[in-house]
Amino acid sequence: MATKTKEVLESKVKDSEIEDLTAPDNLKVPAKPALKPVVVPVDKPVVYPLDLPESEIRLRTPAVGQRASRPDGRLHGLGQTQYIDDMTFPHMIFAKILRSEHAHAKILSIDTSEAETMPGVLATLTGAEIPVNSFGPTLQDQPVLANEIVRHAGDGVAAVAALTEQQASDALSKIKVKYKPLPAVFDPLEAIKDDAPKVHAPRSNIYASKTIKKGDVEKALKKSDQVFHKQFKTQMVEHVPLEPHSSVAMWDANGRVTIYSSLGRITLGRDDLARTLGKPMNKIRLVGTIVGGNFGGKNEITTEPILAILSKKTGRPVKGTFTRGDEFISSTTRHPFVMDYTTGVKKDGQILGRKIRLVLDGGSYCSWTSTTLGKGGILAAGPYDIANLLVEAHAVYTNKTTTGAMRGFGAPQVCFAYESHMDDMAHALGIDPLEMRLRNAFNEGSVSPTGQLLQSVAIKESLQQAAERFGWKESTK
Amino acid sequence: MKKRGRGMACMWYPIGFTVAANPSAATVKVNTDGTATLLTGTVETGQGALTVLGQIAAEALGIATDDVHVVSADTDTTPMDTGAIASRTTYVTGNAVIKAAEQAREILFEAAAPMLNVKPEQLEARDRKIQVLGFPQQYKTIGEVAHHSEIVIGRPAIGSGSYNPPTVEMDPETGQGKPFSTYVYATQIADVEVDDETGEVEVLRIVAAHDCGTPINPMLVEGQIQGGISMGVGFALQEEILFKDGKQVNPNLTNYIMPTSLDMPELEVEMVDNYDPTGPFGAKGAGEPTAVPTAAAIMNAIYDAVGVRITSLPATSEKVLSAILEQKAA
Repeated sequence: MATKTKEVLESKVKDSEIEDLTAPDNLKVPAKPALKPVVVPVDKPVVYPLDLPESEIRLRTPAVGQRASRPDGRLHGLGQTQYIDDMTFPHMIFAKILRSEHAHAKILSIDTSEAETMPGVLATLTGAEIPVNSFGPTLQDQPVLANEIVRHAGDGVAAVAALTEQQASDALSKIKVKYKPLPAVFDPLEAIKDDAPKVHAPRSNIYASKTIKKGDVEKALKKSDQVFHKQFKTQMVEHVPLEPHSSVAMWDANGRVTIYSSLGRITLGRDDLARTLGKPMNKIRLVGTIVGGNFGGKNEITTEPILAILSKKTGRPVKGTFTRGDEFISSTTRHPFVMDYTTGVKKDGQILGRKIRLVLDGGSYCSWTSTTLGKGGILAAGPYDIANLLVEAHAVYTNKTTTGAMRGFGAPQVCFAYESHMDDMAHALGIDPLEMRLRNAFNEGSVSPTGQLLQSVAIKESLQQAAERFGWKESTK
Repeated sequence: MKKRGRGMACMWYPIGFTVAANPSAATVKVNTDGTATLLTGTVETGQGALTVLGQIAAEALGIATDDVHVVSADTDTTPMDTGAIASRTTYVTGNAVIKAAEQAREILFEAAAPMLNVKPEQLEARDRKIQVLGFPQQYKTIGEVAHHSEIVIGRPAIGSGSYNPPTVEMDPETGQGKPFSTYVYATQIADVEVDDETGEVEVLRIVAAHDCGTPINPMLVEGQIQGGISMGVGFALQEEILFKDGKQVNPNLTNYIMPTSLDMPELEVEMVDNYDPTGPFGAKGAGEPTAVPTAAAIMNAIYDAVGVRITSLPATSEKVLSAILEQKAA
C-alpha cells in the first residue's frame, strides 16, 4: 500500500505536470520559476534516534550543582516538543477575534448576523454572552471581550469560530460594530492632570500609588555638598515570545471544560476561568504545556474563556492562536516610566538623600501594574545604603496597549535611571564609577528602603568580581 | 570616528511576590525501584524550571537528576502553584519540593531503620542509598528500602509539602515593612563602540557577575544570564512600540527590531559565590534580574565613549547622533 502511494506521488512530480499545478493561467506569474514540491517519502516516516547515549551528568549524585541537561532539550532539538499550536483534536475548529481600531470609543452596537452566514462559520461571540465579562490579577477592570467601551486600539470586541482559520478571519470583516469615538489620552503626564479624559470614567486615571519614606530627605538634601537632578524615560516594549499565545478548549457533554493553554500560571488561570465562566473549579481542567517563552507576558488569561464558550456553542474543540500582530496589540507590554531623580551627595561620594518620583504609563487596564509599581518603587533607590529617602510612584491609565508583567517588573526601568544618575554624579565628583558604587552599596545587614534587614547580600562582591573579569582598573583611559 | 567606551551598572532584585502570599505545593512519589516522580503545578516556560526542581527533589532523596521524572502543569493532577512569575520558581517551588521529598524520605528512613538496626534519625540518603550516618558501608539501596516500605510494610513513600515566602505588610504611609523574603544582586559591565558620525552603537562585550545564591544548575543560570542580556540589549538600543493617534505603527517583527545573534556582544558570565540559608540548598533565583542592568551599563558606556548622556530609551542611532551634534553645538 505504502509503496503504491509512493509510486503515485512520484509519478505526479514530473516537471511538466508541476508547471500546470503551480502556475495556473489565472495567476499570471509564469516568469517565476515553479516551486519544486517537497516530496515526503510516505514509506519512510521521519526517523529520530531513540538510542542516544544517556547524559552522564544526569546520572551523577549529588544532583545539586550539576550542569545537568534538560530532558526537554532533546525533544526541542528533534522537533518533537508539542506546543499548543501543534496540537490537533478530532473536529477541531478555529477562533479569531475582531479588535477595536479606536483607542477610546463607546460601543453603540455589535451586529454579527452577516458573519454567521459566512462559509464555514459555526458560531460568533460577544462580551454580552460571557457570564462574568471581566478579569485581572489585581483589579478586574479588563473585559474578556469589550461590549460597552473600548479603551485601546486592540481591545477584542467579538469572536468567530469557523472550520478554518482563514474562514474565521474572513468572517471578522462582516461583523458590524458601531462606535462613538471618545476623547483619548496617550501621555501619562497628560493623563495625570485633572482635566484629562478619563479612561475608566468616572474613576481617576491615577489608579495605584506607592510611597516609601525613610529619614528626612529634605534635611539631607540641604546638608549635601552637591545635589543632582535628572529626568529619565523609558519606552514600551513587547515580550516577543517565539510562541504566540495559544489555547485549545473542549467543552464536554458533562459540562466539564478542558483547556490546553500557553499560560505560565495554571492554578490562578483556573481561578480566572471559574470566575469568568461562572463554573465550579472542579469542572475546569487547565493544562499547561512546554511554553515557548513567557517573560511575564503569559501570566494571565487572554482568549481562554472565549474559546471555552465557543466550544460550548459548537460542541467542538476550538483553537485560538495569536498572530504576531495580536501579540503586539492585544497582549501586555512593558510599562514606560517617567522618572525624576534628585540626589544629594557629600564630596567623597556618599549619598545622603534621594528623592524619586515615578510615573508609570499603566496603559488601558491594570493587569500587573500594581506589582510593577510596588517593585519599581521599592527598588528605585538602587542597591545602596541611603538613610534619607522619599519615593513617590503613581500608575496612570492611558488609552494605549495594556502594560503588565514583564521580566523585571519595573526594575530595568529604575536601574537605567539610578545607574545613569550614579555615573553622572561620579563623573562630576571625579570619583571612579566602581569606587562610587562600592562607597554606597549595601553590606550584609544593611537596612533596605522599606526597613528590611538584608541578608545574603552580595552587591560589593558582584561589583568586584565583574570589574576584575572585565579588567576595569587596567582599562582606564 | 568609532570611539570605545565602558560602563557598569549594578542592581538588586527580589524573589517572589511583593508581600502577597505566593505559595507553591509539591508532591513526591518514590517508586519501588528507587526512582521518583515529582508533581508540580508550575509550568516550564523554557527557563529549565522542571530540570532544576527535579535536581532539588533528587538531592533531597539522595538520588540522581535522571532518577526523577517531573510531571507538571495540570490542574486535575498537580498541586497548586503560583506559577512561573517573579523569579520565584527555584526559591519558592524549590522549597516546597524539599519539604515534599523530606516527607517521603522520612517514610524511607522509618522503613530502613529496622533493616539496618538503627534509629531513623541515624540515617541519611546519599548516592541512591539509605546509609547509617558515619558508617556509609552500612546501607540499603533506596530501591530496596522503597520496595520494602511499599510492598512488605504497605507504606508507600509519598510526601507532600508547601512553602510561602515570609513577608511583612508594608505601612501604607511610609512603605516600611518586609515585602520580600530575599533579594539577589548583580553587576554587568559593557564595552561599546560608538560611531560619532552616525550615532551607531555596537556592544562589543558584556561581563556579568550575578548572585543567585548557590546555583542548583550553573549551566541553566548561565543560559538565563545570556538570554536576559539579549533582552537588555534590545531594551537599550532597538526595541520600541511606536504609536500614531493611539494605534501601534510597528506591530510586526519587520519594523519592531529585536537583537539577533549578530547583534549580540561577546558574553562573559560568572556567578557570585553565595549561600542563602532560606533558599533550597542555598539557592535564590536567576530569571528576571539577568535583564535588569544591561541597558544601564550600555548607556554608561556610551557616555564614556562620546560624552553624551542618553536619558530616554532606546538609544537609537538617531538619538545618539542628535545628542552628539547638540553637544558639539553647545
